[in-house]
Amino acid sequence: MGIRQTLDNLEPHFHKGGKYEKFYPLYEAVDTIFYTPPSVAKTTAHVRDGIDLKRIMITVWLCTFPAMFFGMWNAGWQANLAIADGFGAPGGWREAIVMTLAGGHDAGSLWANLVLGATYFLPIYLVTFAVGGFWEVLFAIKRGHEVNEGFFVTSVLYALILPATIPLWQVALGITFGVVIGKEIFGGTGKNFLNPALTGRAFLYFAYPAQISGDSVWVAADGYTGATALSTAFQSGMNALTDQFSWWDAFLGFIPGSVGETSTLAILIGAAVLLWTKIASWRIMLGVFLGMVATSLLFNLIGSDTNAMFAMPWYWHLVVGGFAFGMVFMATDPVSASMTNPGRLIFGALIGVMTVLIRVVNPAFPEGIMLAILFANLFAPLIDHFFVQANIKRRQQRTGVPAEENA
Amino acid sequence: MAQSNNSIKKILTVAFALCIVCSVIVSTAAVGLRAKQQLNQELDRKSNILDVAGLYEPGTDVEKAFEQITPRVVDLRSGEYTDQFDPQTYDSFQAAKDPAQSRTLSGEKDIAGLSRQENYSTVYLVGNPDDPEQIILPIRGQGLWGLMRGYLAVQGDGNTIEGITFYSHSETPGLGGEVDNPRWKAQWEGKEIFANADSVQPAIALVKGGASGETEVDALSGASLTSKGVTNLLQFWLSPAGFGEYLARFRSGIERQAVQDASTDSEGA
Amino acid sequence: MSDPTPKGVLTTPVFKNNPIALQILGICSALAVTSSMSVSLVMTLAVMFVTAFSSMFISLIRHHIPSSIRIIVQMTIIASLVIVVDQLLKAFAYEMSKQLSVFVGLIITNCIVMGRAEGFAMTNSPGLSFLDGIGNGLGYGFILMTVSFFRELLGSGSVFGFTVLETVQNGGWYVPNGLLLLPPSAFFIIGLIIWALRAINPEQIEENEFKMKENTQPKEAV
Repeated sequence: MGIRQTLDNLEPHFHKGGKYEKFYPLYEAVDTIFYTPPSVAKTTAHVRDGIDLKRIMITVWLCTFPAMFFGMWNAGWQANLAIADGFGAPGGWREAIVMTLAGGHDAGSLWANLVLGATYFLPIYLVTFAVGGFWEVLFAIKRGHEVNEGFFVTSVLYALILPATIPLWQVALGITFGVVIGKEIFGGTGKNFLNPALTGRAFLYFAYPAQISGDSVWVAADGYTGATALSTAFQSGMNALTDQFSWWDAFLGFIPGSVGETSTLAILIGAAVLLWTKIASWRIMLGVFLGMVATSLLFNLIGSDTNAMFAMPWYWHLVVGGFAFGMVFMATDPVSASMTNPGRLIFGALIGVMTVLIRVVNPAFPEGIMLAILFANLFAPLIDHFFVQANIKRRQQRTGVPAEENA
Repeated sequence: MAQSNNSIKKILTVAFALCIVCSVIVSTAAVGLRAKQQLNQELDRKSNILDVAGLYEPGTDVEKAFEQITPRVVDLRSGEYTDQFDPQTYDSFQAAKDPAQSRTLSGEKDIAGLSRQENYSTVYLVGNPDDPEQIILPIRGQGLWGLMRGYLAVQGDGNTIEGITFYSHSETPGLGGEVDNPRWKAQWEGKEIFANADSVQPAIALVKGGASGETEVDALSGASLTSKGVTNLLQFWLSPAGFGEYLARFRSGIERQAVQDASTDSEGA
Repeated sequence: MSDPTPKGVLTTPVFKNNPIALQILGICSALAVTSSMSVSLVMTLAVMFVTAFSSMFISLIRHHIPSSIRIIVQMTIIASLVIVVDQLLKAFAYEMSKQLSVFVGLIITNCIVMGRAEGFAMTNSPGLSFLDGIGNGLGYGFILMTVSFFRELLGSGSVFGFTVLETVQNGGWYVPNGLLLLPPSAFFIIGLIIWALRAINPEQIEENEFKMKENTQPKEAV
């Protein structure tokens, strides 16, 4: 009980009148990492369960691990391949770490790839956590509430949808925007109608498009230029894409892209856990998937001579770009998605349709899932409103009396 | 008083008086200032032309500098000058809308996305009109978000580029909008339009990641579609369908007859 | 409201009762023209001119305006002034008018102008109305200049066209923020300004339309 005792000894300092009264949110955050929160629902109206927000968030966090570790390996692998082709090594402290731990740039070595990838991903994650955490704690202290665990997930998701080569100051700016404008301005977790991780990503997308549009360098080797799979298809057509990568490459994730987005397989492993533990809504995922399939089939059917993206089949849409990651981790964010069950299907379908629509028809943006989810976020309350109203009306008809105010 | 204000007579009087006063003010302003406004527009067009020719610097007397420039109307199909129109008043944008003075473009031929092209166009010659130092050609074509309009200045040999400018476009600021960036524009000087002395199709193009050859210019970073648009519109306007015929007058080592044949199939409607 | 004083009508619209930040009027042009400071300045002057003179003229004839056609009368006066401003800009500041394009014409639809005409000039003396127009123009300009300062500085690295931060495109070190060159970014900045103003002046905060139910007892949550 060493931890409990230490925490209990420290606790009085953080209460009203204590030395560190202002920092109570920090104390609370550390305390609940180890123990159940002291304030639990005791009245009969609640289902009592061992799970709380923090456990849910940690499960989601763990679910991103397959994608995260594969992503680190892949980032390293892509870079090492390019270096083997004669492009310059990254140099600096990264080179020092890679040389110490792995001893070289061997694309065949699992360890060398992982280490190189980690020297890119971990700083991104660290900066995200530090800067985003700073804002989170600042607002928690200022507003006198607890630090919210939602940020735990936001930070990892945000770090995973960035390309490995992004400058760290951009990471910091993006998460600042995501947390402050995407969430805190509306009152913090639970009151935000946009997904903060995506808001931050969208900010970077419009603010620094040259680095993040997937058009040029995403591989961490000096002087290397190349487009992401989606960008290739967008600019040069499906044949150029299939010449370069096979579908299995894309499904397993051996393609350049944002750290966590490349491997559909790794993401689906996370999805299986999320669905099994019922943390994520299967209705949303199904809706996104069906919306995407239907729209891409429609575009295949229409066909186009000038726009190569019309020809992209649905199983390619699934594996390139951030579609799978967005479907599994972003669309299912419980705060910004629809809350009613039929609403979730519609919400998901809206994302699926919009994603393909943006990918295919918009002349400027090769990727659509980010904007599609943000767009659907805006509609989620409206969708819910319709279903709730319909429910109320149905009940009224059945019972013949107006429903109670809080029905 | 409120009562009398709302009588029909009062309403009509006020409305009428107000209309008279306002229309007098508005028309005075419009008529009185029209000459000055037209002068401004003219100056703006001229300074764009001078700018692309590298003859404009802040403080230049535009009218005086423009004296060394001669506008001529060119028949794009034959590449000959024509006296059918007055070069001072001929408006090629209007002509492109008039079915009698233009032709439709479609599919493969319409790489610049114009859908209609005029038969006659105005060019500006710097120096001696018979042996110009520079030829300034109007160019236009689709960028990412809309039509881009500009000028291309070519040296007297009909091959070497002097400069390029887009005076109206709606590209994304900071990305495609960098077509306005002086540093980007500066690298056009000295580039060549055609790969060989006898080639008919222009080779000039924007390439990603380090232009190397004489006919290559760096693409705009992060704006692949605007870059593609610029390449396409140059490829179009410098080909025989555009000013290719006309430029052949100045280029040595090219059989003009052969060029004419190449473009006859694109005529019509 | 007590009787308006000349000083009051000039200064309150700047911070206390800002037409953009508190009344949320005239947002459209604030988004469109604020990517460069000099353009914003010209726009501010144009709006100030139109608001001040339209208020004055309307106030001059306010006892003769029939109430049934008063909105049309106001519109006619405002529209005439806007056209005059537009023509003047085209004749004497052509470059500027090219950049402002349709937004000068759209001053007609700027709610600030109509709002002041209907809300103030119809009931106050010409002198006060004129000052009120200037004041509201100042309030509008205050927001416009602040927004455009951030947008131009961070978006293009310059202030009033003079380079402050040398951008990467021109060989410097500053990577310009492309978002700030796009009109929607003005929304974010205006939002942040409103946030700051209301943090300073809490009386500007509106009452909640509804109250969320607490899910925990206040004493449990400490």
